[in-house]
This record gives sequence, C-alpha cells and structure tokens, in this order.
Amino acid sequence: MSAVTTPVAALDAAVPQAPARPASATWRRFRREPLGIVPLALLVGLALVALLAPLLSAAPASYGPDVLVAPGSGHWFGTDSLGRDVLAEVVWGSRQSLLVAVAASAIAIAVGTAVAVVGAYVKRLDTLVNVVVDLVLALPVLPLMILVAALVGPSTTTIIAVVAAFSWPEVTRIVRSQALTVVGLPYVDAARLMTSSPWWIITRHVLPAVTPVVVVSVVVTASRAVLSAAGLAFLGLGDPNTWSWGRILYEAQQSGAMSSAWWLTLFPSLAIFLLVLSATLVSTAYNDARNPRARRSRTRRSTIGAGR
Amino acid sequence: MPVAWLVGRKLVRALLTLWFAVTVTFLLLRLLPGDPALALASPNMTAETRASILASYGLDKPLVVQYGLYLGQLVQGNLGTSFTQSIPVTQVLGARLPWTLLLTGASLVLTVVLGIPLGVLAASRRGGVLDRLVQVVGVTGQSVFVPSVAVLLLFAFGVRLGWLPIGGAYDTGVYGVAWYGDVARHLVLPALSLTLVQLGAYVLTVRSTLIDALGQDYTTLAQANGLSPRRVLWKHALRNALLPATTLIGLQLGFLVGGAVLTETVFAYPGVGRGIYEAVTQLDYAVLQGAFLLLAATVVVANMVTDVVYGLLDPRVSTR
Amino acid sequence: MSPTTRLAGLSRRTRLLALAATGALLAATAACAPQAPPASDASGGTDDATLTIATTTDVVNYNPLVGNSRSDYWVTNLMYPHLLGIDDQGKKTPSLAKAWGYTTPTKAYYDIRDDFTWSDGQKLTADDVAWTLNTVKKDKPSGTFYGQLSNFTSAKVVSPTRVELDLSKPDSSIVEEIGFWGNIVPEHVFSRASSVATFPNDGKDGGWIGAGPYTLTKVQVGQSYTLDRVASYPLVEGGKPGAAHVVFRVFPDVNTEILALQSGEVDVIANALPPAQVDTLAKTSGVTVAKAAGLGYAHLTYNMKNPDLARLEVRQALSQAVDYGTIRNVVLRDQAVSTGSSPLMPVLTDYYDPKISEYAFDPSAARSLMEKAGYTADSSGMFPPTFRMIYSLQDSVTAQWATLVKDSSAKAGIKIELQGLERNTYLAKTAKGDFDIYAGNFAIMDDPATNMTLTYLPGGVINYSYVDDEQLNTLIQKATVTQDQAEKVALMQQAATIVHENVYDNVMYTQNLAFAHSSRWTGFVSQPSELLSIVNPESLASARKTG
Repeated sequence: MSAVTTPVAALDAAVPQAPARPASATWRRFRREPLGIVPLALLVGLALVALLAPLLSAAPASYGPDVLVAPGSGHWFGTDSLGRDVLAEVVWGSRQSLLVAVAASAIAIAVGTAVAVVGAYVKRLDTLVNVVVDLVLALPVLPLMILVAALVGPSTTTIIAVVAAFSWPEVTRIVRSQALTVVGLPYVDAARLMTSSPWWIITRHVLPAVTPVVVVSVVVTASRAVLSAAGLAFLGLGDPNTWSWGRILYEAQQSGAMSSAWWLTLFPSLAIFLLVLSATLVSTAYNDARNPRARRSRTRRSTIGAGR
Repeated sequence: MPVAWLVGRKLVRALLTLWFAVTVTFLLLRLLPGDPALALASPNMTAETRASILASYGLDKPLVVQYGLYLGQLVQGNLGTSFTQSIPVTQVLGARLPWTLLLTGASLVLTVVLGIPLGVLAASRRGGVLDRLVQVVGVTGQSVFVPSVAVLLLFAFGVRLGWLPIGGAYDTGVYGVAWYGDVARHLVLPALSLTLVQLGAYVLTVRSTLIDALGQDYTTLAQANGLSPRRVLWKHALRNALLPATTLIGLQLGFLVGGAVLTETVFAYPGVGRGIYEAVTQLDYAVLQGAFLLLAATVVVANMVTDVVYGLLDPRVSTR
Repeated sequence: MSPTTRLAGLSRRTRLLALAATGALLAATAACAPQAPPASDASGGTDDATLTIATTTDVVNYNPLVGNSRSDYWVTNLMYPHLLGIDDQGKKTPSLAKAWGYTTPTKAYYDIRDDFTWSDGQKLTADDVAWTLNTVKKDKPSGTFYGQLSNFTSAKVVSPTRVELDLSKPDSSIVEEIGFWGNIVPEHVFSRASSVATFPNDGKDGGWIGAGPYTLTKVQVGQSYTLDRVASYPLVEGGKPGAAHVVFRVFPDVNTEILALQSGEVDVIANALPPAQVDTLAKTSGVTVAKAAGLGYAHLTYNMKNPDLARLEVRQALSQAVDYGTIRNVVLRDQAVSTGSSPLMPVLTDYYDPKISEYAFDPSAARSLMEKAGYTADSSGMFPPTFRMIYSLQDSVTAQWATLVKDSSAKAGIKIELQGLERNTYLAKTAKGDFDIYAGNFAIMDDPATNMTLTYLPGGVINYSYVDDEQLNTLIQKATVTQDQAEKVALMQQAATIVHENVYDNVMYTQNLAFAHSSRWTGFVSQPSELLSIVNPESLASARKTG
C-alpha cells in the first residue's frame, strides 16, 4: 500500500509532483532541526508531569500555615493566598489543563475532519460545508464561549464542549483543502471504479492522505484550547473544584495578589507558555520537514542573499 | 463575470453572516438556563413582579413570536432597549464602540508596521540566526497568556517607572487638545499587549508566504529579466506574499473586537469585549444580541475591506 | 506579456474606486471616534482637589429605588439622602430625620431637618418624603426599599418637616428600617415618570438633581462618573464638602485597582479589600487602610426539606464538622469575628447574648452523631448521604472556605458535593430551594426582628432552611410588635437560642472590612458595612487632601 499512499503525503496546495518522501525521511529531517526536537522533548516532559503527578508532588492541600510566601527552600514555587503550595498546584493542574486541551481538540479534530472529508468526497455537500464553516468562523469565539459557559455553569464538561464547538471549523478548513486535492486525484477515480463503497475509499485513501495535516492541526488546536480554557478560568468560568493552570491565575486575580505576588502569575503562565510554544514549534518543524517546497526555497536563498 | 453579480453574491454572504450570528445568539440566550428577571429584580420578588418584568421585555411570548418581533425591529434599525440600564442598546454599544475601534485599530497598525519588516527580515535570511530568532519571537507572542503580560506591563511601566497611566481610556479633568494626548497615553499599554499577541502569527505568515513567493517562477523570471535581487524582493515577491497576510489581518480584526475582553478587563479599557462580559453577568439579552450583531458586522466589514485591499495588491485579480 | 508589465497593471478606475472605499471607511470610523470633552475653567489649588475612587462594578442604574449594584448604591447615595444612618453598634442615627418614632403601634413619624435643599434650589420638605414612600408602595420598584414596606400603608404630610406613616399592623422595627434603607427622591423630578419602577433617571433633561454633598454631572459609560460638590451640605462641618469633585472610576480587576492606588492614580478603593491583601497594603507607603465594622454575617443553612437534613442529629453533626477557627484564621486572616453561631452578632451590643457559644469543631463527635442517627459508614469511612452545597463564585471569600468545609466534613465521614455557581444561577437555585446546603452571606443584618421575620418565619423570603418552628414563630411575631425594647431583646435572645440549639442556621462569622485609601487624603468617617464604609456621604464630604 505504501506505493499508493506515499506520493500523496508530499502534496499540499497545488504544487507539481515532488519525488516520494517516506515517513522516515520526514523524521530524519525533523530530528535535525533543533527547533523541532527540543520543543518535542518539552511536550513529552509536560505530558509526563501530568501523568506522573502523584509521584512528583503531594496533592495541593486545602490550606496551609504560610500564606503568600515567595519562592524559597520550603516552597519552590511559593504559596498562594490560602497557604497552598504553588508547585503542587502547577503539577496537579497540568492534568486538568492537558485533559481539557486533549479532549477538546480530539472532539474538534474528529468532528472537523469528518465534516471536511465528507464534504470533499460528496460534491453536493461541499458548498454547504463551506458555507457553514464560514458562518461559524465569523462568530466571535471568546464572547460566545463566555456566554455559554456563564449560562450553563462552569464545569469541566462545559469548558471542553465549548472549546471544541468553536475549534472544529478551523480544522475543517485546513483539512478540506487537502482532502479536495486528494479526491481529485486519478487514483481515487480508479478506486471509485473498483468499489462502490465510499466508506472504503474514504478510510483507505482520503484519511491517510489528510493525516499529516490533521497531525499539525491537533497540536495547534490543543494549544489554543489551553489558552481559551485559561482565559475562561481567569474570568471565573472555569471548573472551581479542580486544579488547573487557569484556576491558579483566577485565584491570584480574585485575591488581589497578582499585583504583589509575582510567583502566582509567573509559574502557571510559564507552564501555559511552554506548552503552547512547544506545540507550535513542533508543528512548524514537522511542516517544514515534510514540505518539499521548503527544500527548494532553501536553495534559492543563496542567489538572493548573495546580491546584497 | 460581471461585477454586479460578484458584489451581489458578497452582499448575500454578508447578510447571511449577520443573520446567522443574530440567530445563534438569540437561541443560545433563550434555550440555555438563565432567568433575566432574577438578574434585574431582587431575588425576593413576587411572582407577579417577575411576570411583569418578563412581559415588559417580551420574554413571556413564545420563542417564534419573539424571534419574529426581534427581526422585525432589527430591519427597522431598532436594536431594542437594554434590560439593566433602560436606555437604547445603540446608546450602550455606541459608548463602547469607539474605544474598541481605537484599540483594535492601533493594535493592527502596530502589527502591520512591525510585522512586515520582521517577516521580510526573516525570509530574506532564511535558515540563519536572525530567522530563527524572529521565528521564536513570533511563536512566543502567540503563546503568552494575555492577562499575565498585561499585569506585568502595568506594574513595570505604570507603577515602577510611572511613565504610563494605569487603566482607563483617559483621565477626567483633561480638556481640549491635551485630551487627545491623554487618550494616546492610555492607549499605549493595552495596544501593546494586544499587538504582542497578534504579532507572532502575522510575522510568521509574512515570512512563510514570502519564502514561497521567492521560490515562485515569476521571481526567477524577474531576476532573469535583469532586476536586482532587492527590487525583486520588495516590489514583487512582497506584494504577492502580502495577500495571505492581508487575509490574516482581516481575520484578526474580527477576532480582536470581541476577543480583547481579557485585555480590556485588566486595563479597565471600556471596549465592547468587556461590555459583553458585563452584559452576560447581568443577563442583558438586548445588549448581548446587539453586541453580537455588531461583532458579526465588524467581521463582514473586515472581510470586505480585505477583499478590496486584496484586489489592490493582487495583479491577477481583474475587475474590469 | 512579461511578468513585470503584468504586475504593474491595474486599471486606474479600479484603484480610484478602492481608494474611495477606503477613504469612506476611514471617515465613518472617524465619525464614531470619541470626542474631546469641552474645556472647562478648572483652577488649581487643594481647595479644588478631585477625589478619585476606584470601583470594580459599573454603574448601571441611576434610580436609587431600583438600583442593585454596589456602584449604583455608592453614587446614588451621594445624591439622595436617607432619613437615618447607622453606627458601629447597628443603632440608627439621625441623618435627614432628626427624630422618629411611633405615636401609636400603627402610626409612626419622622421629623426631618429643614436645611436640606435640592441642587436646583428647591427645598427638601416632608412632601418629598411622603411622596417617595407612597410612590414606592404604589409602583413597586424591584429593590430593597419596596421590600421594607410590607406593613406600610400610606404616608401623610403633617407639616413641612413632619411626616406621619400609617401601618397595616403593628411593627416596631419598620420606622427604623424604612428610614435606613430608603432613599428620598425629589418629587418634582421623579414624578415626571409614569412609574418610578421604570424611571431611568439618566439625567437626560437637565441633569441630575440631588440633595447630597455631590451631584452627578458627567458620565462616561463603563469608565468614569464625575460628581461636583454642592455649595453647602448640612451634615459636614463648615458646610462645604472638601473635594471639589468626586470621580468614580471603573476598574474591573482588583489588581489594577491596587496598582492604580499605588501609583497615585486613584485615591480610594471603594470595594472591600480581599483579606490577604490587607496586611500587604497596610505596610505599603502612601497607602492607609481604614477599617469598617461588619454588620452582617456569613452562614450555612441546611435545607430541612431534605429528609436527612430534617433530622436534628444530622444538622448537629454537620455543624460540628466545620473548622470555624481555621476558616477565620486562614481565609479571613483573622479579620472576622465569631458570632457564637448565633444570628445576634457581637456588633449589635444591645442584642448580643454571650451565653450562646459557637459549635465546636469535633469531627469524631460529628461521626458519633451520625452513627447515633442510624447511618453506617462504608469501607472508606463515609456515610451514605451526599449533600450538595451551593455558593456564589462571585463571592470569593465564601468560595475559598467552601472547599475547607467540604474537606473538614469529609474527616467526619460526611460527603459534601460542592456546586460553585455563577451569580444568576446561584440566585435562581436559591429561590427555588434547589440545594441541600446553602452558603452565603448578608451584608447588613441590623435589626434582628425584621431579619428573623425573613429568615425563620415560614414563607420568609430568605428562609433558606425552610424551617417552621411554632415556638420560634411566636417569639419572632411578638418581637416585631412590641414597643418595649427590653422585651424585644429578651424575645430575640430566646429565639436565637432556639435557632442555635436546633441548628436552623449555622452562622459562621461577621467579617470586618478593610478599605484602602491614599495617605494624602484624611478626614474619612468610617461607617459599618461595604455599602457605607468610607464612601458614605458624610465621609466623602469631610475628606480633605493634605499635601
């Protein structure tokens, strides 16, 4: 099957056919890019922190004796306005933050890809899909998230649902262009002759072809989900009973401590920042690694730069 | 294709977008839990008071009837009356819109002014140290959590250095020409916060599309025709590379108008984003519906402007 | 065609069209642009100082009969006087009214001062007072004022300085409650509206007319509310308010408020400081922290409609599963006082009963109580019932100790499920009784008889435990009619004892509040509760800038 799928992996946005790029070549290229490997390691690290939280730190207590203590030997990240250890909050908060990010993006990806692929394959539905996606994309995302979260009530399910509901159209848009290209290829027409089951064609040909784009999308959507969830938590619309990075920031804001206890803002912000930064860098590096045009452009550099 | 037909199609699209935004808001407000009567009256109100409050805002009628009435009002240009302030919604939003436009406009101008040179710099020195630096800076900006940056800026420039004011759009007690200067001073930090977040995406887009453009056939041809590499870069490749960047600005505008709520909260900047948050906490349906319509309209206008600019820049688009 | 010529070519007409379109758009944007306010002849000097006050909530309603947000109250309070004030023991003090009382059990009176004038020159007379009371009764605006008028029938003007009230039944608290809670509005302005319940009072025709030390003159929605001083205010020494202008500025984030106070951009923070910030700000140079006595209490009520909570042992167990001391120490930073778990707070020196003592925090005793009630703990040591506790997320202090209550109750084997709600949902669920345990607080509970009528009588609007105790009912009803203060106190103390023994209400603490202001301003007069604190009319009128 590799002979059928690999040419497809090299195609994006109307570019003349490039030579076959197996996945191992992509990985080799990716591995050589420091701006790809280091963030990937960071991402893995963060995931490990979330998974191994109980081993890394005791769960945050409900209160502690030393209130608003700056970072020091007793508490590496300091304590908050109820005397709770911020390091514990950040470590355990990673679970909720990553859970929301992963769950929301998973739903968004699933829905978005499904819609895009179906729309690309079934020509009649394509215009409808296009129109619906444009309409939903025109909606103001954050205000609507605030509206729904406030009315339904803050909870983990609400946040995941709300973030997913507003992330899927962008996924559809990205996946759709790739899916359209694939569906227009001759071998798909050939496949249509061989079988009357659209489902088989979609799963065996179209989906694998759009997978690289989806991978990039996953990472980007997930990191945006973290920011959205943190933003909602900051406004008081996050889950108040589970620790998350957004909740640390929210409690700091509510207790008026943001202006004086810098450690309350710094550490959760740093965590969010690292997650989003690594995710974006990894996806850019991945994109660069599998993109043949990038290679061609690189050889151009010498002609242009030399003239200066 | 005749121009009239193209324009007509765009108009239909625009109206559809507006209608969709209004309908989604309308339905969400009435189908999700929430009792505006409670938000307006004290919790101890009698059933009779509650009924009269709901009736005065037409909330006791069936959904379809309410929707029809609302659309009818909209078509006549009437956005209704605010539940909490008993003044027309247009007045409520009109007080906030100028500040949103100012903040958004300043931030977008800064983004373009800073973004294009940085993107060009990175693209022309692709693979080098500067390129990597710009990439990291670009991605960094996209990854920060706005309120953290905002509080940091406030503390640094407002309290420690005392150069800039803390919050608000302007000071009372300043008049005449000095007032404009005061507005500008209050605008600096919020616009800077927003720009830092928007800049990243913009720089990266300019960079990547410029790289693509520089690799295109027409660039090679232009060089073969004897044009100097610098001329190629600035005049031709950039012009084409700016197309997707322009689309991005259009998208960002749509996002900024409503999405600046976090910035507006921390900086106490009285924009539409914060206004929406307050209306949500007060369950002021009328203001919310009006605000979402306004945001959708902004997106529509932004798209139209983007199309115009796109047409100006793209030599392949014929409008004859 | 060579690429260069193709690139350069765009029809002239198209370019012009595009330019025109962009130009039109810019012009439209400029038209929406904010306008500079007209120059005013403001001169310098400390006599013309402006006092800037930060608040987190926007002013949404200028009608004091309707307004329900804190900022509404602070602004309208500066314009529309109250008949009575309150002191640090919860006792009513003269304000607009010089004297007040009852002539018969169903007839009350106010004698008002004759030196109050409205800012348009007209005198404030008994006509305004009577008109306000009668119109509120008639138009039923949704606010606390109307809620005080249930036993009031009508008001009559007897002389330019005396108003007499007719009551539908004897009520020995009503004259003080109406006097304290109700704002007096100018008849000649408010009568222009068909109903005061819907009168926006937005100052459209001719601005605002008030009788307080400051009158609203300029509004920038969502940003600032400017009030100018009047020439003479009867309740301030010397007659002339200190600051020439008072400006309320809206800062949605308390952190920005604190930064603004530190940088000198605002002079006062009107909302109460979060307990954890009090010490930090007290130590900051240039900032003074003023204290205001708390007049209310925070409490937990157990919904007795729930069969488990209808049982006394369960309520007793729950009351012994809360670590009151730690809550006051950690969450409130020792800025709260125990009330002995009684609704008669220590601050009400007349009513306070030291014999009623706080429930002890004793998880093992709580556990035994549950077992005595017939519950058996499962393998993890938890008893079967789960109680759903609601609280408002907007109330950050309660939100903080809610978790502590859950954790300490777990030590006693009692499962509590926390449900933090957004304010409107919280109000809705409270009104419907959709909870097992309710956590909340009252800002001002100054008159036990009136308060207990609402909290413990069946059908009372804030009876969140759904209690209906005959003995208790009788005591409360007698207390509302008796004119004998000593008897009233005794009745209330008996009632409080019943409430305490039966755990009809678990009163946790009275929070004393702290407010920050710039050290450059002095002369503030602190009054109890956040509604008054240092931003009450007398205080702002007396505040002076020093250096």
